[in-house]
Amino acid sequence: MDEQLQKPEFLGFGLGLRPDHYSDILDGEPDVDWFEIIAENYMVEGGRPLYNLDRIAERFPLVQHGVSLSIASTAPLNMDYLKDLKALARRIEPKWISDHLCWTGVHGINLHDLLPVPYTEEALDHIVERVKRVQDFLERRITLENVSSYVTFKSSEMTEWEFITELANRADCWLLLDVNNVFVSAFNHGFDPMDFLNGVPPERVVQFHLAGHEHNDTYIIDTHDHDVCDEVWELYAKALKIFGPVSTLLERDDNIPPLEDLEAELRIARDIGAKTLPEIAMAATQ
Amino acid sequence: MISLKELQDEFQRAVLQGETEVLDEINSSDKEQREVLLGVYQNAYGLRLIEFIENDYEKLGLLLGDDQFEIMVRAYIANTVSHSPNARHYGDRLPEFLKTHEPFSNAPVLGDMASFEWALNKAFDAADAEFMTLEDLASVEPENWPDLNFAPHPSTTRLDLATNVQDIWQALDDETTPPAIEVLDEPDRVIVFRRDLSSMYRSMDYEEAMLWDEMSRGVNFAGLNELSATYADEDEASMRVAGYLKGWIEGQMLAA
Ligand SMILES: [Fe+2]
Repeated sequence: MDEQLQKPEFLGFGLGLRPDHYSDILDGEPDVDWFEIIAENYMVEGGRPLYNLDRIAERFPLVQHGVSLSIASTAPLNMDYLKDLKALARRIEPKWISDHLCWTGVHGINLHDLLPVPYTEEALDHIVERVKRVQDFLERRITLENVSSYVTFKSSEMTEWEFITELANRADCWLLLDVNNVFVSAFNHGFDPMDFLNGVPPERVVQFHLAGHEHNDTYIIDTHDHDVCDEVWELYAKALKIFGPVSTLLERDDNIPPLEDLEAELRIARDIGAKTLPEIAMAATQ
Repeated sequence: MISLKELQDEFQRAVLQGETEVLDEINSSDKEQREVLLGVYQNAYGLRLIEFIENDYEKLGLLLGDDQFEIMVRAYIANTVSHSPNARHYGDRLPEFLKTHEPFSNAPVLGDMASFEWALNKAFDAADAEFMTLEDLASVEPENWPDLNFAPHPSTTRLDLATNVQDIWQALDDETTPPAIEVLDEPDRVIVFRRDLSSMYRSMDYEEAMLWDEMSRGVNFAGLNELSATYADEDEASMRVAGYLKGWIEGQMLAA
């Protein structure tokens, strides 16, 4: 199986697509290699959001990132949601489809949060089976992201990275490594972020996330409303050494600055990439 | 050991109702008590839903001011859970909530503003149905006109507003001081629609609004003419109906 793993291509350095930037993107030549969209924002019937998305899809590679798959939930899979996800993918032909290793609610309620999972054999079996069903339905591998978490459960039987590795291998899915989330969870739960980075299988990791957070002294919250901090940049450089050239995306969801500021922040990632990996330096000069 | 299902049920109750049973399943960290750590999720829930409502009801927020707006939204949150993967749908019950729950229902401007903003949101991302054109109408043989039926474009909403909320909305949008809130003697009959992908609105007079509403219920061209003839000058009724139709078509308000 592993010999057949053909990772999707390296897309370079991208930004999360946000409506505030539509006109700068469509009317300009932004220094951005690709965009990641929040899938749910385009699960609307028509009008300007989909019109703009189609225009952007003509010019840039897109990745479809969702927040409501709720893969770890004990509620049944939401087939209407999966149909919408598939229809959107048919429309924009994303390079891959991602969501989070979390649950968002039970009993038909969506709490609109990325809720934590106990790292147990029971949860693993449950999630592996659901990932397989989702992948069968979507007719492609999905990509799952590690979330920031604020609690750990007494019932956990393994580390987060052991759980994620086992999940990816057994369900045969891709991984999106959020470097900031590794940093946040490491601080919150007192583990070494390098244990995490060294603990996940490089052949499964197809994308990185970078983002800013809010430090509250005794815990960190993953807010996506600040610039990426120095420690996360350092961790990113280490991740590149371990995982090689991995498509990198800067996320910003709140306190959104002008596009040019995010392009500048993305150049920091490009510079780190070029300094760390000769493949990226080569690609940048072409 | 607690099952995954029980753990999620307890966790959800902690987020929605502040119940504490799930604390038994959670570790404190080296640096912080588990009550505080669980509280991160409990706080985030309300803040996130407030943000959804802020995005969809910007002018209502300006009208109420931050503190009153938060009180109002917290009342809505206590009354309304989200069932949709899309945050955009969470606010769909707010106009009805404000019209039916005290103390908000005592101030009709609140329900009006919410209805108006929701209609503008709907116009923004409603389905892209083909709209009727003047050529479509011209291609119909005159003898078939009486039987013609029309359908509102999915992006349209007709509202009867009890207050001068249209002027208030416009002033807030222009970042000028809004006029004093007024309850009108006669409702402001408004149509919200989408033209060339932009949300638009305008008032209708009594006759036009009546004809629009009847057209939406399936009354055909002949029926609209009859209604118009009973309302005002009989001889010019069909001219007036044709004039309204032309305006609706040019406004991209009718589906093909
Ligand atoms: Fe992320």
